[in-house]
Amino acid sequence: MTDIPEQTGVPAEPAQRAPGYAKPTRAQAVVAHFKREWQLYAMLLPMVIWLLVFLYKPMYGLQIAFKDYSIFRGIQGSPWVGFEHFETLFSNDQFIRALRNTVIISFYTLLFGFPVPILLALMFNEILHKMFKKTAQTIVYLPHFISSVIIAGIVITAFSPSAGIVNTMLGWFGVEPIYFLTKPEWFRPIFIGTGIWQEAGFQSIVYLAAIAGVSPTLYESAVVDGASRWQMMWKITIPSILPTIIIMLIIRIGNIMEVSFEMVILLYQPATYETADVVNTFIYRQGIQGGQYDLAAAAGLFNAVVAFVLVIGANSISKRYSRTSLW
Amino acid sequence: MTNFNLYSRGDKLFVVLNMILIGMFAISTLYPFIYIAAVSFSSGFEARAGNVVLTPVGATLEAYKHVLSQPMFWISYKNTFIYTIGGTLMSLVIIIPGAYALSRPQLKGRRFWNLLVAFTMWFNAGMIPFFLNMRDLGLLDSYFGIIIGFAVNGFNIILLRNFFEGIPQSFEEAARMDGASEFQVLWKVYVPLSKPAIATVSLFCIVSRWNGFFWAMVLLQDEEKIPLQVYLRHTIVTLSDDNEFGASLVDAAYSVETVTAAIIVCSIIPILIVYPFIQRYFEKGILLGGVKE
Amino acid sequence: MSGVRLDHIVKAYGGLQVVHGIDLEVTPGEFVVLVGPSGCGKSTTLRMIAGLEEISDGTLTIDGTVMNSIAPKDRDVAMVFQNYALYPHLNVADNIAFGLRIRKTRKDEIAAAVKEVSGILGLTEYLERRPADLSGGQRQRVAMGRAIVRQPKVFLFDEPLSNLDAKLRTQMRAEIKRLHKRLGATSIYVTHDQVEAMTLADRIVVMNDGRIEQIGSPMDLFLNPANTFVAGFLGSPPMNMVTAKVVAGDTGPRAEFGGQSLEIADLPELRGQSGRIVTLGIRPEFVTLTTEDGAGVAVDVDLVETLGSEALVHATLGEKPFVIRAETIGRSLAMDGKARFTIPPHLVRIFDADSGKALAGQVHDQ
Repeated sequence: MTDIPEQTGVPAEPAQRAPGYAKPTRAQAVVAHFKREWQLYAMLLPMVIWLLVFLYKPMYGLQIAFKDYSIFRGIQGSPWVGFEHFETLFSNDQFIRALRNTVIISFYTLLFGFPVPILLALMFNEILHKMFKKTAQTIVYLPHFISSVIIAGIVITAFSPSAGIVNTMLGWFGVEPIYFLTKPEWFRPIFIGTGIWQEAGFQSIVYLAAIAGVSPTLYESAVVDGASRWQMMWKITIPSILPTIIIMLIIRIGNIMEVSFEMVILLYQPATYETADVVNTFIYRQGIQGGQYDLAAAAGLFNAVVAFVLVIGANSISKRYSRTSLW
Repeated sequence: MTNFNLYSRGDKLFVVLNMILIGMFAISTLYPFIYIAAVSFSSGFEARAGNVVLTPVGATLEAYKHVLSQPMFWISYKNTFIYTIGGTLMSLVIIIPGAYALSRPQLKGRRFWNLLVAFTMWFNAGMIPFFLNMRDLGLLDSYFGIIIGFAVNGFNIILLRNFFEGIPQSFEEAARMDGASEFQVLWKVYVPLSKPAIATVSLFCIVSRWNGFFWAMVLLQDEEKIPLQVYLRHTIVTLSDDNEFGASLVDAAYSVETVTAAIIVCSIIPILIVYPFIQRYFEKGILLGGVKE
Repeated sequence: MSGVRLDHIVKAYGGLQVVHGIDLEVTPGEFVVLVGPSGCGKSTTLRMIAGLEEISDGTLTIDGTVMNSIAPKDRDVAMVFQNYALYPHLNVADNIAFGLRIRKTRKDEIAAAVKEVSGILGLTEYLERRPADLSGGQRQRVAMGRAIVRQPKVFLFDEPLSNLDAKLRTQMRAEIKRLHKRLGATSIYVTHDQVEAMTLADRIVVMNDGRIEQIGSPMDLFLNPANTFVAGFLGSPPMNMVTAKVVAGDTGPRAEFGGQSLEIADLPELRGQSGRIVTLGIRPEFVTLTTEDGAGVAVDVDLVETLGSEALVHATLGEKPFVIRAETIGRSLAMDGKARFTIPPHLVRIFDADSGKALAGQVHDQ
C-alpha cells in the first residue's frame, strides 16, 4: 500500500529554509492539526463525555466507601471514616458468607461448566450432516438470548413442588415432592446447572472457530495415514485448540468474582441465603434495599479491586502465553 | 473427508453415537421451552396437578386471555419497545462515531482514548456509586435515564473499532481526496462498509435491552414506566409465592403456572422472531470483539 | 494545468526524519516518476503532496499557491491508490461520480462526466457492476476514472500497477501512457519498478533513504547515472560493478583488476592519478563478446539464460557476479566455462570508490 514510515530515518536535522517559509512551531502545528481534524474529535466527544459521566464519575463517588455517607450531606460533605466500613464488613458473617458463596459457586461453575462447551464443539465438529448440525447449533445457542427473568420463570415452574415437571417425573419413581427452591442444598446444583444449560452452547462458538482454523490438510494426511476419527480428534483437533482452551480458562479464572447475580436475585430466597447469597446480592440488599450506601460501596470496592487484579493478572498471563491480549 | 461411505466401521459407529448425543443435548435444551408452551395452553387444574409433560392437557386459551387482559402487560410491553428502540439508537449514535475516531491513526492521544475505554472493562465502580450517580443526575424513574444510562459498553466499542481498523486506510484517504469531510467519510463509506459489524452491535444492544431487568427494577419505581421483564418478575417470582393469588385461582380455568407460562411465551416471541437475524451475525461478532489490542 | 514545486520538503515522525529536504519542480503537463526501493520515502513524499501526510518542514506549491496547510480536498489533486480504494458498496458509475457528488456538482453534469470518462476508459458496459465483479484491470481503470472525472490540476499515482499480474501490468502501463498523452495532465507517479519508471516518465526522480539521488530523463539516467546507487537501480539486469585501480597505459589510462585490465576514458579528473581506486560500472548491454584469443576481459561463465533473441550470460569476474547481455541470432553461445568481452572505453562509467559518485566529464547524449 504505502510505505510504512521509513525505518531508515536519521535524527532530524534542520533543513535549509525555503524563502518566505518558516518551520511551524509546535503550537502552530497543534493548532493546524485540530483545524484539519476537528471533526474526528467531535466524533469522539459524545462517547468520552458518556464514559466520564456514567462510568468515571461513579469511580469518584467510590470514596463514600471511606466516608460516613449521608444523602443530605452528599459525597463531598460527608466526613471521612477511614477503613471503618471494611472492618465492619470483615467482621460481618453475612459478608464473609457472601464472599465464600461467590468463590464456591464460581469454582463449581468452572469445574462443571468449563469442559461442556469444549465437548460440544468437538462433537459438533464430528457431525457431517449439514442440516442436522445447523439445527442443533441453532437450538443450543438459543437460551443465551433468553432473559434471566424468563429462565428463572422456567426454573421456578419446572421445579415447583406441586405442578413442576421435575417433581412429576420424580413422582413416577415414587419420590415425594421436593421443595427444591427452598432447600439450601439444592440451590447451587440448580443454579449452576441452569447456567450450563443456558450458556454452554453459546460458549462453544469460540472453540468451533478455533477448530475451523485448523488446516484441513492435517486431517487429510491423517486419513491417508489411516487414522480413525477418534484418533484425529485426540491427535489433531484437541492439540490445535489447546491454546484457545487455555486462554478461555485464564479468562474464566480472571472473572471468578463475577457470578450472574441477576439470576441469584431471581432464584434465591431467605431460606437459601446460606448457600446462595453472593457479594453482589449482599451489596444489593444492604445498599439499594437497606440504604447503607457507604457499607455497600465498600463491599463493591473490595469486589472490584479483587476482580481488577484477577483480570489484569489473567490478561498478562494470557499475553505471555499467546502473545495476544484480550483487549 | 466428509464422505460417510468411506468411513471404517468404527468411525461410522463413532459418528452415529456422536449424533445421538448431540441430538439429546439439543432436545434437553429445547424441552423446557416446549414444556412451558405446553403448560401455557393447559387448563389451570391440570397444570397445578402436575399432569403436563409434553403437550397441553385440557387445552385452553384462558391463561392467555388473562395475561392479555392485564393493562400492565401492555404498558410494560410498550415500555420495553421504547427502551429497546431508543436505547439501541442511542448506543449507535454514540458508539459508531466514537469507535470510528478511535480507529483513525491520525487521532492524537489514541492510546490514551483507547485506554479510557478499555479501563472501564477492567474496573467499574460497582452498583452503589452507579446508582447514586444516576440519582444525583436526576435520572431515576425516567425513560431517558434508562435509555442514556446504558448506551455505551466497552465491548461494543472495541468490536466496532476493530472492524473499522480492518478497512484499508486508503478508503478514507480516497474519500477525503474526493472532497469528503470526516463525517461524510464515516457516513458514506465506512458505515456502508461496516454493515455486518453494525448489525452485530445493534443486535447485541437489542437483545440486552429487551432482556435487561436488574437496573430497570432498581431505577424505576413508577409502574407506568417499567419494562416487560420487571413486570414478568413481579408476576412470576412474587405471585408464585403468593398463596392468596393461588387460592383465588383454584376454580379458575387458569392457574399461577399457566399464567406464568403464558407471559413467558408472550415475551419470548419477539426474541424468536429476531433470532434468525442475530444468528447470522453473532458468530462473527463475538470473535471480532475479542482478541487484538 | 499546473506545476508542482517542492522546496526542501521534510517529513519527520517525532524526532525521526524520513524525508530529508526534497527539492523538485514538476512543470505543467509533465509526467514525473518517483522511483526507489521500498522505504526510500517516495510514497511519503507523494502523500505529502496529496495532503494525506502533514509536511514537517519546507514548502509545497501547486500552481503557485502554497499548499502546506490546505486540506487534501482543496488542493485540486486526484490520487490513484495501490489497492484502488474502490468503494465496494457502490457500482462503477457511483464510484466514478462519488467525488462530484460530494462536491455537489449538478446531476446532469455528473451524468455527462461519468459518460465521457467511462467512454475514454472503455468502462461503458460495466457501469452497473460492483467492484467485486470486475477484473483487476477493470478495477484499475475505474480507479483512474475516479481521478480523471474531477479534472484535477495534478494526478498522483501510488504504485497503481503493483497489484496486477505481469501481463496486465504491461498493458495498463501502455494505457496510462496513452491517457497521459491524451489528457496532458501533470502527473506524479510512484513506483518501485524501474521498468515502469523508464517507460512512463518524462523525468525520473530516483530516491534513496529519504533523499533524491538523481533527477533526469530516463535515457539520461540510464546513460549517465550520477552515482553507483542510480547505476545499480536502473536497468535490468543492473549495471555490473568492478573495483579497479587506475594505471597509465600506452594509449591512455587503463583500469586494472585481478590481473586483467581495460581501457577507460581519459577523464581530466584521472590525470596524474595513477594508483587511484575506482568503481567501474559496466552495463550488460554495452559489452560485446569476442572470440579473438587474448583480446578483452575474461570472465568465468556459470550459466547462460536464453531469452529468445538475446541471452544473459551469468559469469563471475574476480568472484563477483558479472552479467552480459548477448545477441543470440546468428551465433553460437556455446562456451566452455570462459568468455571474453570488449567494451568501448567511453561506455565504461567510472565512479569514485568511496563516495560512489560518478567522476566528472562523462556525459553521453542519446
